[in-house]
Amino acid sequence: MKRALSNPLALSGFIIISMIFLLALFAPLIAPFDPDAIDVKAILLEPSSSHLMGTDGLGRDVFSRMLYGARISLLVGLVAVGIATFIGIILGAISGYYRGWVDVVIMRTVDVMLSIPTFFLILAVIAFLTPSIWNIMIVIGLTSWMGVTRLVRAEFLSLRSREFVMASETLGATDKRLIFKHLLPNSLTPVIVSSVLGVASAVLIESGLSFLGLGVQAPQASWGNILTDGKEYIQFAWWLSLFPGLAILITVLGYNLFGEGLRDVFDPRSSRNR
Amino acid sequence: MLTSCGKTPIGNTVDFSVEYPPEDGGTMIDATRGEPGGLITMIAGEAAASAVAQNIFSSLLRYDKNLEFEGELAESWQVSPDQKTITFKLKPDLKWADGKPLTSADILFTWKLVTDDKTRTPYGSDYKLVVRAETPDARTFRVTYAEPYAPAVNSWAGLQILPKHLLQGQDINNTPFARNPVGSHYYKLEKWRSGEQISLVRNPLSTQGPARIERLVSRFIPDEASQFLELMANNIDTMILNPVQYARIFPARPELEQKFGLYKELGNSYTYLGFNLKHKPFDDVRVRKAINYAINKQELIDGVLLGLGEPVSSPYKPGTRWTNPNLAPYSYDPEKARELLRQAGFKDSNGDGILERNGKPLSFEILTNQNKQREMSAVLIQRRLKEVGIDVRIRVLEWASFIGRFIKTGDFDMVVLGWSLAIDPDQYNIWHSSQQAPGQFNFIGYNNSRVDRLLEKGRMELDPDKRMKIYHEFAQILQEESPIVYLFAGYGLPAIHKRIKGIDNPAPPAGIGHNSQEWYIPKPLRRTEISQ
Amino acid sequence: MVYPKTITPHRDQSVNDMLKYLLQRLFWMVPLLIGISLVSFLIIHLAPGDITTTESGFDPKASEESRQKLREIYNLDKPVIVQYGLWLQRMVKMDFGTSFASHQRPVFWQTKDKEGNVTPGMIQEALPITLLINVLSLALILVIALPLGVVSALTQNRAPDRAITLFVFVGFAIPGFWLALLMMYWTGVVHDWLPISGLHSQGAESMNWFARALDTLKHLALPVFISALSGLAGISLFVRNGMLDVLHQDYITTARAKGLPENTIVYGHALRNALLPLITILGLSIPGLIGGSVIAESIFAIPGMGKLFYDAVLMRDFPVIMGILTIGSALTLLGNLLADIAYAWADPRVRRGVMQ
Repeated sequence: MKRALSNPLALSGFIIISMIFLLALFAPLIAPFDPDAIDVKAILLEPSSSHLMGTDGLGRDVFSRMLYGARISLLVGLVAVGIATFIGIILGAISGYYRGWVDVVIMRTVDVMLSIPTFFLILAVIAFLTPSIWNIMIVIGLTSWMGVTRLVRAEFLSLRSREFVMASETLGATDKRLIFKHLLPNSLTPVIVSSVLGVASAVLIESGLSFLGLGVQAPQASWGNILTDGKEYIQFAWWLSLFPGLAILITVLGYNLFGEGLRDVFDPRSSRNR
Repeated sequence: MLTSCGKTPIGNTVDFSVEYPPEDGGTMIDATRGEPGGLITMIAGEAAASAVAQNIFSSLLRYDKNLEFEGELAESWQVSPDQKTITFKLKPDLKWADGKPLTSADILFTWKLVTDDKTRTPYGSDYKLVVRAETPDARTFRVTYAEPYAPAVNSWAGLQILPKHLLQGQDINNTPFARNPVGSHYYKLEKWRSGEQISLVRNPLSTQGPARIERLVSRFIPDEASQFLELMANNIDTMILNPVQYARIFPARPELEQKFGLYKELGNSYTYLGFNLKHKPFDDVRVRKAINYAINKQELIDGVLLGLGEPVSSPYKPGTRWTNPNLAPYSYDPEKARELLRQAGFKDSNGDGILERNGKPLSFEILTNQNKQREMSAVLIQRRLKEVGIDVRIRVLEWASFIGRFIKTGDFDMVVLGWSLAIDPDQYNIWHSSQQAPGQFNFIGYNNSRVDRLLEKGRMELDPDKRMKIYHEFAQILQEESPIVYLFAGYGLPAIHKRIKGIDNPAPPAGIGHNSQEWYIPKPLRRTEISQ
Repeated sequence: MVYPKTITPHRDQSVNDMLKYLLQRLFWMVPLLIGISLVSFLIIHLAPGDITTTESGFDPKASEESRQKLREIYNLDKPVIVQYGLWLQRMVKMDFGTSFASHQRPVFWQTKDKEGNVTPGMIQEALPITLLINVLSLALILVIALPLGVVSALTQNRAPDRAITLFVFVGFAIPGFWLALLMMYWTGVVHDWLPISGLHSQGAESMNWFARALDTLKHLALPVFISALSGLAGISLFVRNGMLDVLHQDYITTARAKGLPENTIVYGHALRNALLPLITILGLSIPGLIGGSVIAESIFAIPGMGKLFYDAVLMRDFPVIMGILTIGSALTLLGNLLADIAYAWADPRVRRGVMQ
């Protein structure tokens, strides 16, 4: 971790994400208004000292909604990627450890999943489920585990041929011990990197779904649906699209910088970095 | 920032507000969100199809600017004394756009098509009530019903007549004619660029006389934000605005107001909150009334429509004869709402702010589909109901799931939806107790024998004054029983480029487009067009 | 010349292995395709609603009996598995069927009736547009990302590298539709530089071919730019990291020690070897070429594959959904295979790895 933070890009990414997490965490303390408080007398007001980011189409305070929306947008990213990583690690580990027909079945399933364009799949499933925030996280998660599976499997395959693993195997270590003690810990680094990058994509996917009206449900705010509300008035109520647009941009950028920094530092081949 | 740049690209030197005498020619471009599947409206039911097809095909009758019937292909029509037979007399020398004569045989052919079981149309039921259709001569068409059927006249204003000589022997469901139609109205198809646009050009053989504008182009632009950009950039001449564009953006931008005229027309639909009357406690009229009193309709109109709409208290266009002038919307009265709920046996026994009866809290879900205005309405309603102790969650669904999963199965508490403000007052399909099967339209389960009798009577009464009394009484019962809460009827808000002249302002009840054949574009104001 | 040593002692055997591997993979495609189609079919058919709930909308004038009639015509009243059987039966004959929508157009390719009227297929019309956009955007990505990646690698951890990394990440992180709308406003409304939406200007029919092509290019400029921007990061970082890997390898050090000119080292060895894995990436992006973006296509009013699929999902137009999914998954499987083969062909070290 320390090494990662010595990389300026990774460090700036880390700072960005931490700040946004803090803002989201303390939203109730920071937000000047109830995010759902409607005021039909104050529709689409420009940013001012009382409404830092203006108001939306129902007179709600955009700044407060942005803060609470941060919780949703961050949560969607984390939970979705959590699900994907969990499934990916398990299937990848099984596939890479046991090989044989299990491996074939799992890898062909990965092929199947990969061959259905993810966004199409999400669209289809969301259209058929109801688009609640949990469904969105689950669906994004269930449709994006394939990369992690491949990563973990590849790591397992290469680790198994390494001397220390072979040694413990000949010494009679159980499957469980081998997997959890030796293989898994040593293959986590690339998974962490890919997860950090995955969170970034999930945030973007949520905003895309909101654009299509399939995102987080009213009256709950997410950056995606605030941005979508604003798209019709991009030249007029610019505050409605500028702030969520920037927020998404900065967050996704933060995750990417952090993830890429981690990769630079942890990549076993990158002795090049020092 | 990009927000305050005021440079307009072209046309700044032309003053569009100068008046010119009418002249022919020019092109008017509009935008629609969807592409029609085909242009035979009995097959392709969507709005995009009828918007284009109404410029190509004619019907026997149409509505005039005050929504009274007048002849389109028919010169006159007569209802027999027993009210069972209608005889239409066609105008003389009618021609199809390809020069062939249009006769009563074409009308008969179209009627046979729409009632044929092999035709995949959902709109056949009105026409199947005709027991005999005949053509005594080339200019006369006569239909006979088993018993008087009041909506019949209206139905003949809705059936676009198709050419027998081109369609005979074809499979109407799958004919190239749908994408290459020949009609009899002001315009005919010039070119259909798949996925991009349809252009129509004046039909010199129009049965309705000549239109002035030479060419109508409809571009398919699915996204409203993009449509608005195209409008601002002067690439399309007209679009329907939303309230924010109309009430906020235009007034703030003088260069837009210089170029575009803003119009206001009566809405075609109303938005309502409907109860599932088969679910407790919505079977209790006191609960329904309480919710009606708890909702502030003016707030909805101000918040959702920025004031650009009006409250309704019957399912008819405000100001038309079918609207009962004695009815007024339920006032906003949260005290009365609380009182009614108390009478119905609800009180907050555990102090959580939500009312209960027999331990069951007043907690529901409002369903609606992906429609910005309905969604906003639901959010406003949620807050007001909370104030009287009713807990509401909102669920917004994509249309097919909404209908398939919830409406058809009757698995819902409350819905925010819309019905059209019909021109014909018959509401049998929506309110009659026999129309409750899955897939039918009385899905809220309304069941009132007095209303049933009125709806049956109204269908058989062709005398407008007697009919009016029937539907006034019908609307009054609905108002008393409050099976739905009328929320509002929004105005249609077209913006039309000022280069287009001859527009009736203010819009008559039939809407701004009623005289579009008289609109014209003076030469100095036209776009520079590439000669074709 | 120093090249990585490749050991291929039994060349004939390796070709045989390769063939065997190829056949095996091809054989696998059949059950995979059936599996994919079955899963897709189940998902879309178990969903609420069908074409009869969407098509005539919610018009009280449309009767339920007529909708029931439609359901029977389209076999929607039969059990899902029977419907799947019927679909599979048609697919074996490469018949994608016709749309459920009222126009009943062929899903895939045009048909001709006995009078010689041609009805164009839906995918047939949408695919070339989407392909054109995607190919242009991929080309743009390569043209920009390659030099960026090389510069980035050569200036590792110095200012140009950092700036490039930041730039490509910003490109990835901007919500595309937001940027698109801002650009449309800037280039189309404020300035009259580019058209806002659509594919052709009014009167495009009467232009000569050059003016027409230019007109189309102008219309495609923004959509291609927006879609390329988000793809820059992937490729440029890939090139950068690949180059760095190679630059630190022994043979490069040897080459340097031998005093070869730095240019020869960078462009002759490092870049060449760093580009090898790019072949895989390009192979993997083949199926992506036919998938359009619903969002971009809606905003720019482009009748491509993304919009076609999205509308079909909302309409519950099952033959169209299934048609697009099937073609998409077949191409993906093929693309994966091609990528593997191309890579193995280009780099003998991998050839052995792949077949293990």
